[in-house]
Amino acid sequence: MIRYAARRLLTAVPLLLVISFLAFLLQQLAPVDPAEAVLHAQGVPQVTSELIAQKKAELGLDRPLLRQYASWLASSVQLDFGLSYVTGKPVWSLLGPAFMHTLQLTAVSAAAIILLSVALGVYCALREDAWPDRATRGAAFLLTAMPPYWLAAWLVWLFSVKLDLLPTSGMDSAASFVLPTAVLAVGYAGVYFRVIRSSMIAGRNEDYVLYGRANGLTERAITRRVLANSLQVAVPMFGMAVPILLGSTVVVENVFAWPGLGNLSVKAILGRDYPVIQAFVLLLASSFVVFNAVSEVLSGLLNPRLRKDL
Amino acid sequence: MKHSRNALSAIFILFLIFASGCSGSGNEPAAEAAKQGQAREIIYASSKDINDMNPHLYSGSMPAQGMIYESLVEKTEDGIKPLLAESWDISEDGMSYTFHLRHGVTFHDGSPFNAEAVKVNIDAVQANAERHAWIKLSTKIKEVRATDEYTVQLLLDEPYYPTLLELSMTRPYVFLSPKDFINGQTKDGVAGYDGTGPYRLADQKPEQYAVFEANESYWGGAPQVKRITAKVLPSGETTLLALQKGEVNFIFTDDRGADGVDVEAMQSLVDSGRYQLLRSKPMNTKMIAANSSSTGPVHERAVRLALWHAVDRETIAGQILHGAESPADSLFSGNVEYADIPLAKRGYDLKHAAELLEDAGWKLENGGETRVKNGRQLALKLYYDAASSSQKTEAELIQSAAKTIGMKLELIGEQSSSVAARRASGDYDLLFNQTWGLAYDPQSTVSAFTAESSYARTTGGIEGVEELYAKIGKVTGTRDEEKRKALYKEILTTVHDEAVFIPITHGSMAVLAPNDLEGVAFKQTQFELPFELMHFK
Repeated sequence: MIRYAARRLLTAVPLLLVISFLAFLLQQLAPVDPAEAVLHAQGVPQVTSELIAQKKAELGLDRPLLRQYASWLASSVQLDFGLSYVTGKPVWSLLGPAFMHTLQLTAVSAAAIILLSVALGVYCALREDAWPDRATRGAAFLLTAMPPYWLAAWLVWLFSVKLDLLPTSGMDSAASFVLPTAVLAVGYAGVYFRVIRSSMIAGRNEDYVLYGRANGLTERAITRRVLANSLQVAVPMFGMAVPILLGSTVVVENVFAWPGLGNLSVKAILGRDYPVIQAFVLLLASSFVVFNAVSEVLSGLLNPRLRKDL
Repeated sequence: MKHSRNALSAIFILFLIFASGCSGSGNEPAAEAAKQGQAREIIYASSKDINDMNPHLYSGSMPAQGMIYESLVEKTEDGIKPLLAESWDISEDGMSYTFHLRHGVTFHDGSPFNAEAVKVNIDAVQANAERHAWIKLSTKIKEVRATDEYTVQLLLDEPYYPTLLELSMTRPYVFLSPKDFINGQTKDGVAGYDGTGPYRLADQKPEQYAVFEANESYWGGAPQVKRITAKVLPSGETTLLALQKGEVNFIFTDDRGADGVDVEAMQSLVDSGRYQLLRSKPMNTKMIAANSSSTGPVHERAVRLALWHAVDRETIAGQILHGAESPADSLFSGNVEYADIPLAKRGYDLKHAAELLEDAGWKLENGGETRVKNGRQLALKLYYDAASSSQKTEAELIQSAAKTIGMKLELIGEQSSSVAARRASGDYDLLFNQTWGLAYDPQSTVSAFTAESSYARTTGGIEGVEELYAKIGKVTGTRDEEKRKALYKEILTTVHDEAVFIPITHGSMAVLAPNDLEGVAFKQTQFELPFELMHFK
């Protein structure tokens, strides 16, 4: 099993290299000269050609492409992504805290999503097509169809302004987590619980269920087994939910003034702050690769047949 | 049924525990403040972090820098007034300025403000002169001498009348404690943000908030509002909700407009009876720069004049901008120094616009929609900032009016930096732009008329351009006030007659503040507010 896990993680290395090169290339593909972008980003009121040349030399942008890439990659693996073009601070000093803030939000939201999806999935599967099932699915349909910023604005208006229970925004206390988590969880759990529900329903018609019943197993024990089997579908889904969440909190972070990756990346993109954009892309892509590998390893743990494939 | 109900409540409780376990430091400056006697302090919303407060660079928030740092002199409605310098003498030849500094001023870290501090600060700015090339004074300073403890002499290469004006700006000629310098310099970062201003930076959580506390030993007397918090709120909708709830109680427009909160929303807050809305006199002018150096139709004065008459400024100011700005008939509003001169008013008049084109030989042929002259169509490209929703709407209105006079406008939205790059390269017919603002007008905007990276293409193709440039070169070296007035009048009249800058609206600064906050005023710049004058009833 350890060998399987190690091999699975090793295959991710070439993929990461390709990703890093693509992330690096982003800057070269941009229509505006990066040196010029830096000067605009730094708010220099008048950009002259002398200033651009000076900036180019300062940033090492006049070196051959592959040499630029090699030195960038070498420092990147040590989490040294260079200096932000806009603020002049080390990229990691900006990205690190933002990453942690988003990770906190993501962890709470992922926990909420998993608990909510499993609970609702099982609940609805056991009451297939009865009114609680229909009502839950209807409500989920309605909520997931709402644009997140709209839902967020309504929730803030109701719970912060009218009822005065929660802060409108910021990341000051535990209460600050409630609304952003609710908005994120509604969007994802509303989709994921259906997957669990349908795989539970499919599972309940399997032969082993009939066999179990014939052997006099209690309904509770049977449900537990069907759920365990259904989770095999859910594990990779939940595994990918974390990186997907990491990369898609932009709207929620913007509305709730959450000082995380989403806000940082949008600001970096608008300000053409390439070192930050590159580091963000690399970080996000790496988390996809890592979480994908981890969820495959977990699936292998749940299902020994999968391990033989590698 | 019972089991699942238990499971659901267990999940809910677990979730609550998890959420509370992830709590932050528990530091709630804004919420706390809102509860304490409904905010005897100012908590303002800002779409961006205050960023690097180094006063000799450009990434920091200017309103925040304005609270912390001060300049030698201040620009007021009545001209230049003393600030850190109590008085000054200008030599006969206009090349030497002697400043007599205020006594007893200290930086926030306790170190004294004296002639040496002035010298090292100006030297540090000059050490990075390229970065400051936009401020012409940086190219004229020859030497700074500390002649005694409280006397500083500024020597220039040539006479330059806007010297005092440029010394009054928010940056870069403001003063940081020399103890915060790194290796005697500020261009590669600073170790602290200690100025001499009415407020000092007490706490900063990047991307969340910054807290400014009153400088109790401020030379002008300690400010009455003891605490000002700048809270980062990127979304306008949330800002509005936070204002309703009282988590923030103050907003003001920055140079890009209302910071995401629209005029109607601000009005609804005023109607609620808790807020007041104040507006400054015009601070800048939004306009369309026309590329007179182009080889296309826009090179012709008649085409530019026709477009001028095709801009419905009343509708733009009233309908598109909801009265937040006022129609502009000239490049500078009358309250700008040297700009109160008689200029021909050219209103919205499509009939006259069509006549101008007709007389210039642009004819409508075979029932076509676009005028033609010598086989060439009257088609122009108008670039706007894609991030600005109002620019796009304005462009569409102008486009539809231009269509009725047989002028085809193609609208292209781009990032602001791309539009700026086009302005420099000359790859445009028309583009949206704005003057630099009250603190910089007219001298900086006018000197940008000749700058390659600014308006050299806009002005370069007009008749008598050499003469115009000569006047612009001369005006800042002219020490006689009357001669200067006359020169500015000629310069501004020329660009008005040539219609290279087609004015649209005058923008002003707006402040939304609690009803019981008094002393809310404006400065002669859209980048700062005099917080030290404000106090609660």
